[in-house]
Order: sequence, then C-alpha cells, then structure tokens
Amino acid sequence: MTAFLLRRSLAALVMLLVVGTIIFSLLIIVPGDPAELLLTTGGGTTTPEAVAALRETMGLDQPVLIQYLQFLGDTLRLNFGTSIIDGTEISQAIGLRLPRTLELIAAAAILALAIGIPSGTYAALRAGSAFDVITSGIMALLTSVPVFVVGTLFIYVFAQILKILPAGGYTALSDDPAAHFRALILPAVSVSLNLMAIVFRMTRASVLEMRSHDWVRTATAKGLRRKLVIRRHILRNAMGPVITVVGLQLGILLGSTVLVEFVYNWPGLSGLLVTAVEQRDYPTVRAIILTVAAIFIVINLAIDILYSVLDPRIRLK
Amino acid sequence: MNMSLPIPKRMVFPSILLILLIVTPFAAPLITGDDPTAMAIPQRFAAPSFEHWLGQDEFGRDRLARILYGGQVSLTVAFVATTIAAVVGTLFGLIGAYFRGPFEFFTTRLADVVVCFPPILLALLVVTLFGPGAVTLIAVLSVLYFPAFARIAFAEALRVSALDFVEASRALGTPSRRIVLRTVLPNIAGPLSIQYSLTAAAAITIESGLSFLGLGVVPPAPSWGQMIRGARAFMNQEPLGILIPCIALTLTIYIINFFCDRLRDALDPKGAQGAKDAISQPVTTSQKAPDLPSDAVASVRDLRLVTGPASQSVDLIADVSLTLRANECTALVGESGSGKSLTSLALMGLLPDVIRQENGQLLLRSKSDGVVDLGKTTAQGLEKLRGNDIAMIFQEPMTSLNPVHKIGFQMVEAILAHRPMPKDQARNEAIELLELVGINEAARRFDGYPHELSGGMRQRVMIAMALSCQPKLLIADEPTTALDVTIQAEVIELLQRLQREYADGLGLLFISHNLGIVSEIADRVVVMYSGKIVEEGPTDVVLNAPKHPYTRALMGSMPAAHTDLHSSRNDRLAAISGTPPLPMARPSGCAFRDRCPMAIAACAEHIPSLDNVSDVHSVRCIRADEVVTA
Ligand code: SF4
Repeated sequence: MTAFLLRRSLAALVMLLVVGTIIFSLLIIVPGDPAELLLTTGGGTTTPEAVAALRETMGLDQPVLIQYLQFLGDTLRLNFGTSIIDGTEISQAIGLRLPRTLELIAAAAILALAIGIPSGTYAALRAGSAFDVITSGIMALLTSVPVFVVGTLFIYVFAQILKILPAGGYTALSDDPAAHFRALILPAVSVSLNLMAIVFRMTRASVLEMRSHDWVRTATAKGLRRKLVIRRHILRNAMGPVITVVGLQLGILLGSTVLVEFVYNWPGLSGLLVTAVEQRDYPTVRAIILTVAAIFIVINLAIDILYSVLDPRIRLK
Repeated sequence: MNMSLPIPKRMVFPSILLILLIVTPFAAPLITGDDPTAMAIPQRFAAPSFEHWLGQDEFGRDRLARILYGGQVSLTVAFVATTIAAVVGTLFGLIGAYFRGPFEFFTTRLADVVVCFPPILLALLVVTLFGPGAVTLIAVLSVLYFPAFARIAFAEALRVSALDFVEASRALGTPSRRIVLRTVLPNIAGPLSIQYSLTAAAAITIESGLSFLGLGVVPPAPSWGQMIRGARAFMNQEPLGILIPCIALTLTIYIINFFCDRLRDALDPKGAQGAKDAISQPVTTSQKAPDLPSDAVASVRDLRLVTGPASQSVDLIADVSLTLRANECTALVGESGSGKSLTSLALMGLLPDVIRQENGQLLLRSKSDGVVDLGKTTAQGLEKLRGNDIAMIFQEPMTSLNPVHKIGFQMVEAILAHRPMPKDQARNEAIELLELVGINEAARRFDGYPHELSGGMRQRVMIAMALSCQPKLLIADEPTTALDVTIQAEVIELLQRLQREYADGLGLLFISHNLGIVSEIADRVVVMYSGKIVEEGPTDVVLNAPKHPYTRALMGSMPAAHTDLHSSRNDRLAAISGTPPLPMARPSGCAFRDRCPMAIAACAEHIPSLDNVSDVHSVRCIRADEVVTA
C-alpha cells in the first residue's frame, strides 16, 4: 500500500512538472516575440519601448534555461508575479477567488453524485422499467445541453419569470449565509447537470455489468438478504468505475465553472481568467491555468487512492 | 430483415437526422435570402413574420439567417478540427503501435497529459496568445483532441494485429503498409468513428462556449454562442432571442450524441440479457401434500422449465424427477445444454428470470426437519433456506468470490446470514472451517483477498463457505472443471472426506460431464440429454452396464479407464458426431435420434418414456433391452 501511494504521488508530481513545462514552453514555441504578440493581437499597435518593458517584466530577456528555472522556482514558491495590466499580485488575487470556485465545484460534485448514483442504481436494477426509460432519456438530454445554455435558461426561468432566486452575484458567507446559499443554488445546479448525467450513465452501466457477475450469484446462494447483496456485492463493486469516470470528467467540470461563473457573475477564478484573457494578461492566465491543473491532478491522485481502497486488486498493477 | 442493407435498422433514423443537421445550415441561401449581418435597427426585436420566420434580433438582423449561417460556422469549426485531430491522431497511434518503444510511450503518455487539462482552459491560454477567431479555435481543438484518437488507434491496432487473420497475412509476407491499410484500419474504424462523433459534439460545445464568452468566433460572423451572449441582456423583452439559439445548439449536440449512442450499440451489441441476480420465483403445480421419503433431503417432481413468450414458449427441461437422499451422492451427468445446471438452480430457487417454471414440485427438508415446498415459499423464505438448508458451489472459483472483499468478510457474511452471533465467534468459526478444508495459515488467509489464492484454494474457500451453516443438501455444479487435474483430485477427495467426517447426513448433488470423476464420487448417476432424464440408476450399474445409447456414447468418449481423473474442459462427445439439439429444434420422438447409432423409424414416432429395466435402473429408450453392454 505504501509503495502504491509513493508511486502514485510520484507520478502526480511528474505530471505537474510536465504540465508546467508545457505551459511554459507555449511562450517559447510561439512564432515571433511573445511580448509583441501579446501587445498587438486583435489589431493593436505598440511601440518598441512598450515591448521592451513587457519583455523585462515577464523576464523574456533572459536565456530560456534561466527563464525555465526561474519559472519553476517561482511556481514552487507560489509566486506567480504581477499582472502586466494593473500590477496586482497574482497569487493574492488567486487566493481570494479560488475558495469561491472550489465551493462551486464541491457543491456541484456533491449534487451530481447524490442524484446520479442512486438514480443510476435504481434504473439499472429496474432496467427496462418506465423509471429507467424516462430517467435515461432525461439524462441523455442533460449530457447534450451546454452549461451556459442551462445557466442562461435557468436565469430566465427562476430569476426573470418566477423571481424566486437571484440571477447572479455573490454574498460572502460571513455577511449573510442565507443570501450566500441562495446565490449558490443556480450556479451549482448548472455546473452539476452534465456531471450528473455522466455519473448516472456510468452507474447504470456499471451496476448492470456487476449484476451478472458470478459472485452476485454466490452471495444470493449464501442466503444473503437482497438489500445486502445489492449493497455489498453489486454497488460496492460498481463504484470503482464510476469514481474513475468522475475523475476523468473533472476537467470538464472545472471548465464548466468558467462559463457558469461568467453567466452568474460569480466572482471566482474564472471571472479573473476571462478578464485576463480579454486583456491578454498572460502571466495571470498562466498562473490560473497552472493552479487549476494542479487542483485537477491532486483530485485525481485522491481518486486513484480511493479506488485502490475500494478495489484491492488495483494496488498490484 | 433485408440483410443486404449495409446500415443496421436502428442506425437509419439517427443517420437521417445527422445528415439533415449537417446539410441544413449549408443550404442557408436556398432557405432564406437574408444576409445574417444586415442590420435594420428600426425593426429590432420584430416578432416572427412572413419575411422573417424567426423574427429579428437586437440589431434587427434576420434570426433565421443568423441561426443557419451560425450553424455553418459552428459545424465547420467542429468538423474541420475533429477531422484534423482524427487523421493526425490515428497516424500517431498506428505509428506507435507499429514501432512500439519510445513511440508507444509518446502516444499513450501524451494523451494522459492532455486529458489533464480542462480543454476550455487550454483553449483560453492559446486565445490569450493568438487572439480569438475561427482559425485559432480549429488549431486549439485539433491539438486538444488528437491524443485521444492516438490512444484509441494505438490500443485498437494492437488488439487487431494480434488477431489471427492479421498474423496470417503477415506470415504470408504482405507488406506492412498494406496490412495497416487493408486489415487494421477497417477493423479499428468502429471505435474511431465513435470517438469522432463524441469529439465533434465536444468541439461544438467548446466553440459555442468560447464564443459565448466573446473569445471564440469574432463578430460580425454569426455563431450560436454569440447569439445567446447578445440576447442575454434582452431576455426579459425578447425571450425568443435566447430560446432559439439555445434550442439549435442543444438539438445539434443531442443529435450527434444520439447518433453516437446508436453507433456504439450497433458496433458492440452486448445488451443486458437476464442478469444473474434477477430471479424467477419457483411455483408449485402439485396438489399433493408435500411429502418426502424419510431418508430424502430433497426431491424434484415433474419439473418443467420454459423460456420465451407464453405463446411460443420452449421447453428447456421437462419431466425431470429426482430424489436426493441423505449421505448419498447423486451425480447429474450430461453435455452442456442438457439441463443439468438448470435443474440444480431450480432447487436453489436461483433460476434466471427469463426462465419460468411451468410445472413441477420442488421439496426440501429444512433443518428443523419440516418439509418445505419451494413453490409455496416467499422470496424472504427462500433467502432463509439458501445457504442454510441448501448450499451450492459453482464452476468458476476465479469469479465466484467477490474480488473487493476479504475472504474472511465473505465467510463471516455467510455465517451471520443465518446464525446471528458475535463477530469474534463468527471469525473463529470461519477460520476453523478454512482449516477444515485444508487452507494453510487459515488465520492469515482470513484477512487476505481472493486474488491472492489459486483456483483450487478458492474452490476450497467456496466449499468452506457452503458448509458453514451445515446444510442438508450441497449442490456442486462442475466444481472441478476449471481446475488442474491434480487439484481436481484433491477437491474431490475433500468433498468425500467432508461428507464422511464433517457433515453427517449431507446429501450431495454433483453435476458433471466427466464420468471419470463421477465414478469416483457418486452413489447414483442420473444422465440427462436435451432437457430430459435418459438413464438413472446406481453408479456401478449405469456405468458398467449402460442401457441407453447416449450413456454408452458418453462412456466411449471418456479419455481413459474411468478410474482415471483425466478431464478436458471440452465436453463434446468424441464417440458420436454432432451436438445436442437446441431446445427449439429437437427432432420429433426421441431427442437423441439424430445422433443415435441405433435409431430406427419407430424412434421418431413418440417420445420414449422412462421405463424401469430393473428395480433400481430406468432408461428412456425403446431399444433399451437390445443394447449390448460393452
Ligand atoms: S429411442 Fe431410438 S433414437 Fe432414442 S436412444 Fe433409443 S434407439 Fe436411439
């Protein structure tokens, strides 16, 4: 088990390094001078002085190797430098907004699992029933609706017509907990729907598959009560694949928050990101993406470990 | 039923939808004469009219034209990017599979890394550098998606190249380029086309998302994401403005996903047939009072099992009657499909729900000495009997234990299901049982997982588990077939020893196609063929002087003298050609007629009855008396 943990953690570290390197090298492989590119894309004009100044702030005047080591060192110390637009400390801005994004993701993930797993299980155990057919149909539709479409339609229905929930915005938990959670509902549901559909599908497929394994028959032949057969010998085994898929889909979940935060004006990481992209604030964009990639890798590591607890055979591989 | 149609029936509808979806936007000039960018401010938010079917937007532009031309942009971006990704990715994958080594590492690892990035974030990073626009989008999306294709092409190519016909053409000296083009590529086309449609749908989602953020397709070129973005501010005045592009976008993605689902089903028609945990309830058709001979532990009377719809149901087994006695081992013998396993599952109340019991009575002596009619027992009642009064071990020890639970957990579970007791005591009992069935270091194994044990050891665990509540009847369904020859002998000895020493009064129903093993262990033999009992009697009588031509054929196909425990997993008969008839295609009269060396015209007339040839021996053959014993 320890060896397994070490191996997985090492792999995650390597992954982080690779991702960091790829993000770093994007600046190196772009044709031409990145500083000039950043200042002129979208048809803008610039002066040699401005380009030189930007090169210096971004450290682009150094040799590549020095730049790379500098980048790695800074990243390790969580020092992402300052925004090239307004000179704010990037780490600080991220530190302020990251918890809000994480809150959104956590709420969405919990919602998706809490609804997706039980409904998927029930649909599989009653495969072919009306419940199965209807729920599967709804879930198939949910996989196809882009998050920002859901978000926009939700605002129209719940905020404009029914006027029961705010159309967006954010209230700090410490200021007004009720308002905080009311503002969280629509964004969290919007982010969760895609994942919920995927969790449902995966749970349904996985439970269906597990149902026909020999050990389920053994458990029934032991005289185990049906409820226990389902819980211990079908569901328990079915969770492994579901968790893996959730891990793989987290990238999409994190991407969804970008759109949902924009739709609902949720002041998380993504608002910062979209503004930074619009303003071509490369250091800020890079820092945010590194942060998100790191979160993603850490969550996946956690899922790997959880999976190995669920299925002891994994540890052998 | 037109077999020449290249497209499966279920693919026709989704294919038509998909074609419509792709063609419609590009037929825009035929549908509307309006320019999607021509503004008419005075008519902003005009309701649908004859000139403007879907009304006009916040700048008075024709909405229908914008939807159609916007569709062109979205579809072009998505399909161009996906095509590039597919071609480049497949090439990478094939190269990786062909050269292996560093290419393999590159191909598979690359996918791992790219999957790490939330795709929309990588897209944003690139947009920061290069600015928004359709070309940037296509470039980003192809880079994002090609590793997935590479990985699939790689894995599939490896799988396909191991197939016989590819090996064969390689052996024949076909150049490798030809092998790839002619054999590998067509065979991996299925998974790749699924990935293609998945990717196209994902690309549309990302394109529209970026355009919605204002970082994708640049105005004034129309795009669905942008239309939703533009109409958001006016959703109160003009809900149509958001509804129409939302519907167009969702419908597009839905149709592609729908097509993809059907394609997946068509290529991999696994389907969920009757799951093993879905059980059909036993019934009883006998009015007779449940009554068992005093030395019997279970009996089956006139059992008939059918499958298929009621109007055209097919008999799987019929007229099966058996009496299983305490301290006796009855062997049920026959080829696969003879109905021997179904008979035993019926006794356990474990028949899959696609099989119905039409007739018969199943009786069991419970430990409290009462006689139980399974057909009159509720599902909960059956749970109480299973494992407690009647237990079963199965053919595949490798899959019969749940891989995620410790062995001890699964044993304790069996004990506690029927005998509530403190955990510690159950643990001690389980360890004792493991020792009894000959597991070394039982205490350590108790905390181990099934995958740490060999097949033979797992079968011992299964036996220990089955005996944990001291049942009256143990059913062993081909318990040694999956094991090595030497291990087989050990397991048989164990069963015999347990019946003698541990479980006094245990009745054993031993299902096998291996007469060598049967002659070792069984007191009585019941031979089944095509759902019916064809011969029955004491082991030495049946095996030494078989009266039914089928039993004789079985004897003839034994590899060696029947004291030899040699067995193959292949239960075909060597001595007679052919295979048993399928239940829906039995010949009239005697079901064995097609393969019987002694068949005469009279055999086709009616199904022979099971007649006594002596007090203890009965045979279902009209020429039983004429059979000369070998
Ligand atoms: S009844 Fe006829 S066909 Fe059937 S086993 Fe006897 S001889 Fe053969």
